[in-house]
Amino acid sequence: MALLELDHVSLAFGGLKALSELELTVDQGEVVSIIGPNGAGKSTVFNVITGLYTPTGGDVRFEGRSLVGLRPDKITRRGVARTFQSLRLFLNMSVIENVMAATYGGTRATPLEQILLLPRRWSEGRRVRAEAEALLSFFGERLAGYRWEQPAYSLSYANRRRLEIARALATKPKLLLLDEPAAGMNPNETHEVTELIGRLREELGIGILVIEHDMHVVAGCSDRVIALDHGIEIAAGSFEEVANHPAVVEAYLGRDPEALAGDAA
Amino acid sequence: MHKFIQELVNGLTTGSVYALIALGYSMVYGILKLLNFAHGDLFMVGAFIGYFVIQWFGGPAALSVPVPIVLLVMFVLAGGGVGALGVVIERFAYRPLRDAPRIAPLITALGVSFFLENTALLFFGASYHIYNTSDFIPFSSGIHIGALDIDMARIMVIVLSVVLMIGLRLIVNRTQLGRQMRAVATDREAAEMLGINVDYTIAATFFLGSALAGVSGVMWGLVFNSVWNYMGFLAGLKAFTAAVVGGIGSISGAVLGGLLIGLAESFITGYVSSTYTNLIVFGILIAVMLLRPSGLLGRVQLQKV
Amino acid sequence: MSSQGPSIGVDEWVARSGERRGYSPGWDGLLERINDRVNWWLGLALAAGIGFAFGQAGFSSFVMQVAFNALLLALLAVGLNIAVGWAGLLDLGYIGFFGFGAYGFALLSSNQLSSSGVHLQAWESVPLVMIGGAILGLLVGLPSRRLIGDYLAIVTLFFGEAFVEFTNNVAPSKLGGPNGIFGLDPIRGFGSQIISLKGYYYLMLVLLVVTMVVLRLLDTSRTGRAWRAVREDPLAASLMTVPVNRVKLMAFSFGAMVAALAGAAFAAEQTNVFPTNFDTSYLILIYAALILGGAGSMAGAVLGAVVIEATYDGFLRSPHWAGVIFYGLILLTLLVKLRPWRRLAGVLVGTVVFGFVVYAIVHAISPSATAGGPQSGGFVADLVRNWVIVPAPKAGTIPAGPGNLEFAAVICLLIALVQLRGRWRSILMIPTIYLAACAWESRLVGQPSITRVILTGAVLIVMMNSRPQGLLGVRRVEIV
Repeated sequence: MALLELDHVSLAFGGLKALSELELTVDQGEVVSIIGPNGAGKSTVFNVITGLYTPTGGDVRFEGRSLVGLRPDKITRRGVARTFQSLRLFLNMSVIENVMAATYGGTRATPLEQILLLPRRWSEGRRVRAEAEALLSFFGERLAGYRWEQPAYSLSYANRRRLEIARALATKPKLLLLDEPAAGMNPNETHEVTELIGRLREELGIGILVIEHDMHVVAGCSDRVIALDHGIEIAAGSFEEVANHPAVVEAYLGRDPEALAGDAA
Repeated sequence: MHKFIQELVNGLTTGSVYALIALGYSMVYGILKLLNFAHGDLFMVGAFIGYFVIQWFGGPAALSVPVPIVLLVMFVLAGGGVGALGVVIERFAYRPLRDAPRIAPLITALGVSFFLENTALLFFGASYHIYNTSDFIPFSSGIHIGALDIDMARIMVIVLSVVLMIGLRLIVNRTQLGRQMRAVATDREAAEMLGINVDYTIAATFFLGSALAGVSGVMWGLVFNSVWNYMGFLAGLKAFTAAVVGGIGSISGAVLGGLLIGLAESFITGYVSSTYTNLIVFGILIAVMLLRPSGLLGRVQLQKV
Repeated sequence: MSSQGPSIGVDEWVARSGERRGYSPGWDGLLERINDRVNWWLGLALAAGIGFAFGQAGFSSFVMQVAFNALLLALLAVGLNIAVGWAGLLDLGYIGFFGFGAYGFALLSSNQLSSSGVHLQAWESVPLVMIGGAILGLLVGLPSRRLIGDYLAIVTLFFGEAFVEFTNNVAPSKLGGPNGIFGLDPIRGFGSQIISLKGYYYLMLVLLVVTMVVLRLLDTSRTGRAWRAVREDPLAASLMTVPVNRVKLMAFSFGAMVAALAGAAFAAEQTNVFPTNFDTSYLILIYAALILGGAGSMAGAVLGAVVIEATYDGFLRSPHWAGVIFYGLILLTLLVKLRPWRRLAGVLVGTVVFGFVVYAIVHAISPSATAGGPQSGGFVADLVRNWVIVPAPKAGTIPAGPGNLEFAAVICLLIALVQLRGRWRSILMIPTIYLAACAWESRLVGQPSITRVILTGAVLIVMMNSRPQGLLGVRRVEIV
């Protein structure tokens, strides 16, 4: 059974078909990339999976159970976490608080227990803090030590992206959705992102679904690639197969003018 | 039947006044996303201007110039004066806070409201300032046919309100300024980058909205004959309700809301009891908000993820 | 590779000095530094100690009443802080919860409900009232599921208004109508009761400290983090497992509970309740206290409440103290805003000289124009007697024409002042300050109840323009 299964998912906004009969699977320990020109519906796929949009047709199944109609925080608690194309950090909270905030679903202490200082408050508090520190250390020196107490808005762009991934990981996901993790990064940082995705797959064994434009990242970390255009899947397979697929080339670059002339003649 | 017509006319009259104030609320909210709690007090300032104009011309019973001229001066001075006041307030209290967290302009608006209400109190005292409209606009000069018994003042208010609303609609939909206003309301940064003078547009919006409030203040004085420094609070609250019920940010919504609230008030006071009027009006508001959060004619806010 | 540690250039600088925290120069930085360094619990203990000592110092009952009011306002501001400061929800109907608590206690501790009445002891009635408040908070917060931001503010505002209408008009025999409910029992239980003002002061102090402790424990645990996450970005929070709606309702509920508690204590101290106790003007005072002190910080809420109450109810009632505050505020503003010392000195000296000169001229021309004495008493009046122009009061009292004109002139000058820059601005300041002093002495001081509201309004406007985060608040980064 696949970890994530999109079964003929369609989403229409009035007359505009954002997604048409989309089929997609992600297995545990697998990295699947979604590519496509802007406006192809890639982020929309994420929004449908995480419950921000309700599909007008088809089903989204996670570990065999349908996610359609569930509230976003319930979906995340089941094990699906995401990052955002334009970052959505809790800017005024400290770095470590950002990560600790995402552990809400994994804790159970009620307000009464918090006030009366009952044991669960302490044990959970310690555990949450330790987990957050461990997650941030995953990124090495970047988000270490003194950085923990600094407000998130003081981080550089690349560090903010890392923090967002750390925060998503704090929800203990089984499936991670990364929305353009390498956007706006220089080649060094892009290489780090590619390595990071690989590490996540190896060390955590989770399924990862990546939206990316940068083909270095896609080529470097994906097991499978799916190409979307206008909400429809136009190619699927390994990176080499998809990258050279005529429909994909056309979607990105347009039709070959000689071929056009040839057709017309 | 007579009572019904009477209440209907009363409702339309107060409704028109609320609508004019609500228009100002809506316009300012649409362009700045600011709930200007001081707007009701602009209405009060307009009413006072109207009162003092009459006093200056000799008082309601002994006007030294013909009535139409007095009325003209009242409306023009109130409209222009309050409009200018609105521009000044925007320039000093709200402009520095364009990008501040939302609570800052809200608190500032409360501060401005305090300031206006109590400065008026300081200058004019707490007593009601009364002038009898019927002294210079005789009651008999109205429409008195069969069941209809409407005095001139009310007719004038309704007619003038309609004219102003149509005028505003024309400005917003047909003129360059109106286009600029709509552009700035949609996306301020983009409008700025397209060469629209945002400061000027916002100032013009405030002028129009405040002028409308000022004019409606004069109208209130003519119909209800009393002016005092806290009158802006309740009228402002009702007009605010109207703007929200109709869909804040929407011009037609403000008009619809104003008329609805005015009519509701009239009929409830006339047929049920005046003690429950305000409660029921608030109840209407809460019901509308729960069933249709963006108001009757408002547009739903979209969010890009 | 870059993941092996800092490399030459930016990373090295960051590694060396990234830990250092920079503070703004001047007073801002000082406040921030104090805020950061002092341990919260220690600060609370210190403040509680000061509060206790204050009660022992034997001040007059007027002072103790103001102190009680200040602590009441502080408790309310701390409760409001939960929804507004921590969760970022605009709760404009908060005053309704306060009123609910007061009326609830009143109904349970008086003869209002039946001939012999209901007379529960405090340890029975207060928890009941608080639970009722929590439920009411839930109900009022329910619209927050569908409404965001301003729309929620509007609905809560009308709840607050509706409460006043309700208690004024509905069921007058049960709720007392406009005359309110009288003859309430004091706080009593276990054989003893509190009837003295001092007793209520200590009670309020204890309630405030306990509430702050409880809320601090909440704030530093997962609930507090959830509130803050919802404030920052509700959408992102919900995608990070935070149940946003439930968290918002909790904020409303807790705030309402605190307000209800404050209401009960208030009702007991007053021994009566009226609808007008709970109208919008008091709500604005609570907001002013919270915003002035710094939304998001409990210490700020308390500080703001103390400052607002002390000035509003305390100082501004007495012309002498009002004068001290007025001139003090002007001096303070000049001190803080005029940076080069020479400019500051120039303006101050210039104002004094200008005043004397004008006074001499006017006095020479028309002695009656300066016949009236400055209306603030005490040493302030003596200082300015020969400096400000105060016309003799006209026969018959309000409204005093010249004073009003001076006031209006000051407003116009202030408006002009903001338009100017540099040297001209400093020059124009001189007549503005002088005229303000004249207007103060001739007119404003004589009407303390009006003046204090005008001043509060002016302070709010200036505060929001120059320091929107309040005294102890932290400057936030907002994505517009």
